[in-house]
Amino acid sequence: MEAISEKAVTRLEDALGKENVYPDNPHRAVRAAVPSPFPVCHWEEHIPDIVVLPKTTEEVVEIMKIANEFKIPVVPRAGATGLADGAVPMRKGILLDIKRMDEILEIDDVNMTATVQPGLGMLELNKTLSRIGLFYPDDPASYPCSIIGGRIGSGGWSLMGSGYGHVPDLVISMEVVLPTGKVIRVGGGGGRKIRKSSVGYRLKDLFIGHSGTLGVTTEATLDLCKKPEAECPAYFGTGSFEESHDLALALERLGLKTMTAVVIFDNEKIEFLRRDDEAYIPQPKEVVSVVLALLYGSEGEVLAARKQVFETAVDKMKATYLGDEIAKGDWASRHDRYHITYHGRNAAGEVSMMSWHCEDAAIVHSELPYVRKKWHEIVKRYKREYDGYFDDWGMFMYTSNPFKAYGDYLTEVDIGVNELEMTPEIWQAFIKMKSEIAAVALEAGGSISTCHGGTRPGDVELACHQELAEGSFDLMKDIKKLLDPNNIMNPGKYLLDEAYQ
Amino acid sequence: MSEVYISKKSFYDTPLGDDKAVVPEMRRDCYAVFACRHKFCRDVCPVYFETRDETTGSYGLHTSILGMAEGHVALSDLQDTITMCLECGACELRCPNSLYTGDFYGQSTTLVDLVRKVRRDLIAQGTPPANWDAVQKYIDQDLEKENGPSDALVKWADDLDLPNAGETMLFVDYFNAGQTTDVPRNAVKILKAAGIRFGILDKPYPTLGELYESDKEKWMVYAAQNIDALAKAGAKTVILVNPHDYIFFVREYPKYFNLPFDVVYITDYLLSLFEAGKITLKNELPINATYHDPCSLNKHVLNWEAPRTLIEAIPGISYKADDHIRQWDYCCGNGLNSFKRLKPDVSYKIGLRRFSMAEEVGAEQLIVACPHCLDQFTEVKAKSGSSLEPVHILELIAKSMGID
Ligand SMILES: Cc1cc2nc3c(=O)[nH]c(=O)nc-3n(C[C@H](O)[C@H](O)[C@H](O)COP(=O)(O)OP(=O)(O)OC[C@H]3O[C@@H](n4cnc5c(N)ncnc54)[C@H](O)[C@@H]3O)c2cc1C
Repeated sequence: MEAISEKAVTRLEDALGKENVYPDNPHRAVRAAVPSPFPVCHWEEHIPDIVVLPKTTEEVVEIMKIANEFKIPVVPRAGATGLADGAVPMRKGILLDIKRMDEILEIDDVNMTATVQPGLGMLELNKTLSRIGLFYPDDPASYPCSIIGGRIGSGGWSLMGSGYGHVPDLVISMEVVLPTGKVIRVGGGGGRKIRKSSVGYRLKDLFIGHSGTLGVTTEATLDLCKKPEAECPAYFGTGSFEESHDLALALERLGLKTMTAVVIFDNEKIEFLRRDDEAYIPQPKEVVSVVLALLYGSEGEVLAARKQVFETAVDKMKATYLGDEIAKGDWASRHDRYHITYHGRNAAGEVSMMSWHCEDAAIVHSELPYVRKKWHEIVKRYKREYDGYFDDWGMFMYTSNPFKAYGDYLTEVDIGVNELEMTPEIWQAFIKMKSEIAAVALEAGGSISTCHGGTRPGDVELACHQELAEGSFDLMKDIKKLLDPNNIMNPGKYLLDEAYQ
Repeated sequence: MSEVYISKKSFYDTPLGDDKAVVPEMRRDCYAVFACRHKFCRDVCPVYFETRDETTGSYGLHTSILGMAEGHVALSDLQDTITMCLECGACELRCPNSLYTGDFYGQSTTLVDLVRKVRRDLIAQGTPPANWDAVQKYIDQDLEKENGPSDALVKWADDLDLPNAGETMLFVDYFNAGQTTDVPRNAVKILKAAGIRFGILDKPYPTLGELYESDKEKWMVYAAQNIDALAKAGAKTVILVNPHDYIFFVREYPKYFNLPFDVVYITDYLLSLFEAGKITLKNELPINATYHDPCSLNKHVLNWEAPRTLIEAIPGISYKADDHIRQWDYCCGNGLNSFKRLKPDVSYKIGLRRFSMAEEVGAEQLIVACPHCLDQFTEVKAKSGSSLEPVHILELIAKSMGID
């Protein structure tokens, strides 16, 4: 604890109570990492100096004031499931864990809003909402474990987003504590619940997806919906990725309001899913790639849409319906498979413990085949060169246009990474692989990240100097410096240090 | 059946310590949980629900030990955080390692064993878990009973006229024998009314979980004595009335010993008698109730059907309970072994939360199948002033059978 003075610790303890301030090793070491590949050999560099768990906005204000006075970095941490290192301390400092801010402040079932503190999970909120037939439709694959504040900090994507909207669409207004300790409210009109207004700048968007660099959300008013009456996840097997790509377009073009997602599983993904697993639902050999059409709505709407989907997929496009077992077993649960370290393989096909890394570029439909081809070439090359360190776990492509299941796709390649045996040299190779992957996304006119953020080494240089090159990054730096004069908020992210040079 | 639930990672036998290296197998095993991106373990942990602190629980502990392997944490740093586990087993069930690949690769997550191991290792190096004195005092009291006159241990059955031998033996632990005597007494009355011939040991030996997680060797000596005494009494079937002991008999004893008898939990045994027509639930009990699964049965050995079937068979009962999977994230707050003494405040909060869930479904009575849940809920009721009444399933069965 060299970096933080005793005086600052005492001030934090006075402000929050000793029981909410943790200087001990386990509390600090456990909060060094998030699930994006973490080179175990670099752990020490990311251990925060102190962990605090505030309960109120006022306490967050106090933390900011102390941090400014003593010039200590503050890193917000919510569920710690972020995949772009957002909550990883780059300069140690105060780790501000928001999980004790977990109150539901109001549920308004007439105007369909919930106002919550940011430390609450979606699962927790929905447990309460389900009692009155309501639902908060933010449904990432990390649904049970990511947390509303982190969803906002990362600008999350929801599997149901092409039907119900993503996090930026679902947050109506927010209370934000700025790095200086000033409390502001963005969005929502005077009463916090207005979804559409044309007064002032769209400042709410500035505080969504900033990866904890501009302040701390301490309260959010969220848009609710009625829990959909019917759900139909229909999985279709095809003989190739190209067939799946065509089928996805045909499904998009049906123009169905109930179509909440179209998802493509490519050939490598299906091969990966066939690796030893107790939960795998076996598929015939002819199934090389898979398309999911996910429908939500009233019974009548879903029934009618289902008929059209089946006519298109089975009668016209000759895909094979994979049966109700998969629909019930819900292949979305296959997300769990990513993280089973035992699914990693070396060239000889032996188990090599690996963790999951996921790239999440946003790509338009027409460019998916190009990106897929290039990405697999890159990953397979690194897999060959660094046997037992990297592995190709296949690709998913999910519609990501809010409220409309067509156009953009969250395009994900999953890569096994042997973090435990990682050396600093191989870590550099990993970063290089990432930047090659990001470059392909930009070549295809895409964005480096749909929902995780472009904050990691390998991405960040391309994000700031290419994707955001036409003035955006310069403006970001100006805004950062304006709001955070002492660079205390999550410093070291998005190359924003450049703003202070 | 019991074989399925026995897990043993031999590298857990190598002690951790401030000046000891973490063995490679342990490092890899902890890494498998650290590298799991889901943290489902956190979101089913009744302790996390109260503390919102991710340092504890399966992810927190495995990560801390991985941190130990990498030199960022020392064993003695865990004195506080290691107290924060109920050993309820929810995280093991929800761990994707156990769910998807665990058995295939022999790598299921075994957090409960790990917590016990870390507590033992902390005690062994002279840096016990925080507040351990309270637990040690309790252990000493229990062991004093073993040293004392043996008739004190069977006093609960003084007027019940039971033999000390038989093919069927009812094993009654010190907790039931001393604190919740109605539980074994009702069991005896029900079994007798069903025409079962059975005996009890004239001297049972300690089974205390608190001892298991502090002095395993001593606990094993008593385990051997229990097994020996039951075998000598002629036991072919041993019925347990404490699910904490039941899971020791089916999950822990077989790790170290061969058991020359079958082991069955009282509710399973009664269900088989009910199905064979030997028990008739005739009296109406017009109560409005819900049921609480003991973690030991529901999470450790996936045993949840018998109590529900029996309760539903009671005439006149109005009964509504969450299914067993939902109850994976519940606990009465007592925990399996030391938790309540280590963390009485958190224990009480967990109990209160369970009470409020029972109240929410409109229940007036909260049925339990475990003496520790009964004890804990009785205390929560007294402290909180709730009108919810905890009641043991055996009491209801006895009443419905017309037994006083
Ligand atoms: C298995 C798995 C599946 C996933 N699937 C998806 C998916 O489908 N869609 C998706 O979008 N993401 C997905 N992710 C990534 C991750 O879940 C999201 O990025 C999520 O939004 C992060 O939330 P969190 O609570 O874990 O936040 P954290 O990781 O703790 O934090 C994320 C960022 O927000 C900042 N932050 C946290 N709290 C606040 C606050 N109160 N105010 C300001 N900033 C804050 C942090 O500093 C950090 O930069 C997945 C991750 C995993 C492990």
